[in-house]
Amino acid sequence: MMARSSRRSPPRSRSRSIFGQLTAASIVIAIIAVAVLFAVTTITIQRQTRASLSATVATDLAGLIDIYATAGRAELLRRVNDRQEVVSLEGRRSRYLIADGSGRPLSGDIRRWPPLNAALSEEGFVTLADGTDVYAQSAKLAPDLQLLVARQYDRDQASLLVISAVFLGVGAAIVGAVALVALITSRHLARRMDAVNVALGAAADGRASSFPARLRGGDEIDEMAGHGARLLARQAQLVKAYKQVSEHVAHEIRTPLMHLDNRLGAAMQGRPEPPGGPIGQSREDIRGITTLLDSLLDIASAESRRGELAGLAEIDLSGIVASLADLYEDSAEDADLLLETNITPGVTMLGERMQITRLLSNLLDNAIKYVPEGGHIGLTLEPGPRIVIEDNGPGIAQDQRERIFERFARATAPGEKHGHGLGLALSRAIAERHGLILRLGDVPRGAQFILEPAP
Amino acid sequence: MSELNILYVEDDPRAAEAVRTLVAADGERLAWEQTGTSGLQRAGAEAFDVIILDRMLPDIDGLTVVSRLRAAGVDTPVLMLSALGRSENRIEGLQAGVDDYLAKPYEPQELLARVKALHRRSSGKVHGAVIIYGAFECHVKARTGFRSGRHIALSPREFALFRYFMENAGETVTREMLLRDVWNMNFDPQTNVVDVNIGRLRRKLEDGFACPALETIWGAGYRLTTGE
Repeated sequence: MMARSSRRSPPRSRSRSIFGQLTAASIVIAIIAVAVLFAVTTITIQRQTRASLSATVATDLAGLIDIYATAGRAELLRRVNDRQEVVSLEGRRSRYLIADGSGRPLSGDIRRWPPLNAALSEEGFVTLADGTDVYAQSAKLAPDLQLLVARQYDRDQASLLVISAVFLGVGAAIVGAVALVALITSRHLARRMDAVNVALGAAADGRASSFPARLRGGDEIDEMAGHGARLLARQAQLVKAYKQVSEHVAHEIRTPLMHLDNRLGAAMQGRPEPPGGPIGQSREDIRGITTLLDSLLDIASAESRRGELAGLAEIDLSGIVASLADLYEDSAEDADLLLETNITPGVTMLGERMQITRLLSNLLDNAIKYVPEGGHIGLTLEPGPRIVIEDNGPGIAQDQRERIFERFARATAPGEKHGHGLGLALSRAIAERHGLILRLGDVPRGAQFILEPAP
Repeated sequence: MSELNILYVEDDPRAAEAVRTLVAADGERLAWEQTGTSGLQRAGAEAFDVIILDRMLPDIDGLTVVSRLRAAGVDTPVLMLSALGRSENRIEGLQAGVDDYLAKPYEPQELLARVKALHRRSSGKVHGAVIIYGAFECHVKARTGFRSGRHIALSPREFALFRYFMENAGETVTREMLLRDVWNMNFDPQTNVVDVNIGRLRRKLEDGFACPALETIWGAGYRLTTGE
């Protein structure tokens, strides 16, 4: 596995997408707006209906009170009988009741006195004994005479229902239209944003990518894509420049060195010298310089490709470790060291086979170089992947534990061997390029290098 | 081996002269072209045994030259000889279609050994179940070795080395060739793993015999003797 194989984010759920949220918010706002408008309209209509009913009933009541005052009880009873069955212009049917002081009906088409206090001239919506809904107002004309005038408002209610139905229909259509427009718009925007995201994600992973061409004539997303495209172009230019410079530096240094080496080789042919002679040493130095140059460029290359997925493939780590153990077993024995291995089979990871081989080879080389005769080297591979290379040699001094991973750092213990001090810097750079960390373990004796996924 | 007909594409006259001298001393023929374009034309027009190709040419990059050669159906083995010698550069070369990659500065003997090995490999020499060279026998399937009819007990890795020497019998085998073909590594470890493994094999092959089995070619590598 590669420790950072999860860098590519999983597909977003609609609820996490800002466009999904915007769509949902638009629908909710449209529903609330329609509901509020409906409530306000309904309440206004109901209030106006009540005011209209109240005015009509009050006028009728006042007229009857006038009749009672001027013509007396008999005339009132006669007029109330006349007025029954009258339907007003608004379509509201009139209802009346004249009762005695205790509410017992004397005249009118209402059979029972409703819960309205005539002494207080109460008015309001009531339901009559026959189940009819009316707006009624009462008045006490004399201690033994009270009058109730009412209007049926079933036509008003029917009109309100029709208005409500129309409102709900229109409201649903508005909400639907808002939802549709929001959905189409957000899908379109999300597609464009996804194209930009995919391009950026691919670039971040080191894969080839390009930004979508401008289609909408320069809105914010186009502007962002434009910046992204420029960023990618700049990045590509930098990578190219870095590669060119490093290749030219390598070429320009190696070529004269090669000529020098050829001349030294030719000089040696005419005048052979024993091993360790000055010409042979000079040729060794030439190789040392090229190795140093290559190592520095390798470190730079591994560091620049950190987090890049391009070039990585599923590799058989168990096979690589076993093969290295096989190669180094004789070297260890030759140096009078015991190489013990514990390799879990079937461990794989996403990586560059040669780079991982080099990393582990560096660590084994170090162990063989620094552990004195009779020592022990352990090589363990566990799933994770986790690789531990440990020994019972002189170990690493406390103040050197981080420094040894820096360029040109070498253990400064007595009996120091040759090298440029780039091996561990390169190993760490390779580890990080693979999403792994290379660190020192805390052991009482010797050195323990641990390679494992970065936290 | 009959003399080889080699094409060398290199813009640096001094580098070209060094190779010309080396190859001529070994009895091979060398044709030299200074640009990628002329190299491509020559490679398409004449039959060569091996092409040695510089990577950084003034007109067309060496990697492009190889890609075009392969696309045109020219399958002459190509050894890229380049000042870019990092393992990353080697992988790029192999991916572009070169058959071998050698970094400058190089040991002259190493270059010769590589060119010959490349030619051997490409000439389709298929080894049978038993390879015989001088006093040595390599039984590939049984994974056993014999010298003068005497069985030599070899561990699996010693056998792999022995077999490689037998497949390249009589020719110089370089450290890089061993690392690449036997241990699948394209870099040189900092310790002497190759020498140690060769040393082990040598002791086993020479134990009880007066003649050496493996000789060290200074500055190049090792060669299997006939053992007689």
